[in-house]
Amino acid sequence: MRDLYKRLGISPAASDTEISAAIEACQHTALKAEASVVLGVKSRREEYDRLHALLCDIGRLRARLGLSHGQYWLDNAANDFSMSPDNDHSRHEALVHKVTQAVALHDTFLRWRRYAPWIVAGGFALITTATLAVGFVAG
Amino acid sequence: MATTRFSPFELLLLKSRNQTDTAALLLLTWVAASKGSLSETDRHRIAAMSASMRHGHDCQAIIDIGARQDLDAIQLAAEVLQKDRWGAQASPFLRQAIEVAVTEGTLAAATNHILRFLADLLGTAPQPFAQLYREVTGKPFESPDDPSRETYWQAREHARQQQRSQSEQRQRHSQQERSHGSSRQGHERPHGDKALRALDILGLDATATRSEIKKAYRRLAQSHHPDRFFALGERDVASASMRFQKIQKAYEYLMQDARFI
Repeated sequence: MRDLYKRLGISPAASDTEISAAIEACQHTALKAEASVVLGVKSRREEYDRLHALLCDIGRLRARLGLSHGQYWLDNAANDFSMSPDNDHSRHEALVHKVTQAVALHDTFLRWRRYAPWIVAGGFALITTATLAVGFVAG
Repeated sequence: MATTRFSPFELLLLKSRNQTDTAALLLLTWVAASKGSLSETDRHRIAAMSASMRHGHDCQAIIDIGARQDLDAIQLAAEVLQKDRWGAQASPFLRQAIEVAVTEGTLAAATNHILRFLADLLGTAPQPFAQLYREVTGKPFESPDDPSRETYWQAREHARQQQRSQSEQRQRHSQQERSHGSSRQGHERPHGDKALRALDILGLDATATRSEIKKAYRRLAQSHHPDRFFALGERDVASASMRFQKIQKAYEYLMQDARFI
């Protein structure tokens, strides 16, 4: 499938008037005829848009998973819906990173909890001595 | 902290006893949901498939996530599956995906694209995948329909028109029988049989006017002109020229008919 929006140079969210203007301005007669047949009718455009959104998703997935040159991704769909590969978007690595962070946070919490009674006791003693000292000086 | 907040699918994956099965279930739901909305039969089918898996958590939760078609969750599932089921172990999962994808023998274009993506994801070459598809469904794996082409819509409307004309013909037959039954004296019908057939070819009914006939003829002649099918091969050109001649003859017959002047 071809990306008619890309070929006409408009966004997929364009309004009907924008589309008809782009079709008017299009120089390529074959594309002009086909775009008006497909995008000019509301029900057809809706069906086309559904497949268009899915192919955009698949194009993004393929770019992120390194499948932009898969054997089943060769014709028009590959030309129009491929994106530049971005390998820094691995969800699995992100998940591993998140889990590591959560574990580290939990470890810190455990370590501090071990010292918690001493810290509380120390603080309490400090406050008591301070109050006593203030009472002494005042009294 | 924002970075340590997990999405629902990530939580399910972490709790799962078998992460690969959880990921496979999510992708199967994605395949089923791409046909439109997730029907009850699809839910039951996926639940039945999940009975043999060892994920050890509620499968309804994962079906609900899959029905939302969340791209991040799908990507995570794809990564897990690619890691664990690449190559030779792929075919059981692909078999399940094909079973879910095909309902009543038809494969939607969107589902077709997803199957192609899954085959590439698991490193299955087109030929073995097509063979697997034929084994499961008994039909060849065809390339997806292309709604960005004019011919796709023409074929659809042609099929619809044929259906309509068939039902009209049936109606007309029943009307004729009724009129025969009531008055056998032989009242002349407004149009003869031949004129009606000619109108039928142009997709019109008995009330059509001369200008409507002209318009219909121009439209049909344009869309069925043999020159349009030159690129598709000799057979298509031949069938198109037959249709074109039929349309032309019908038009000529109607034009010399006195009732349409």
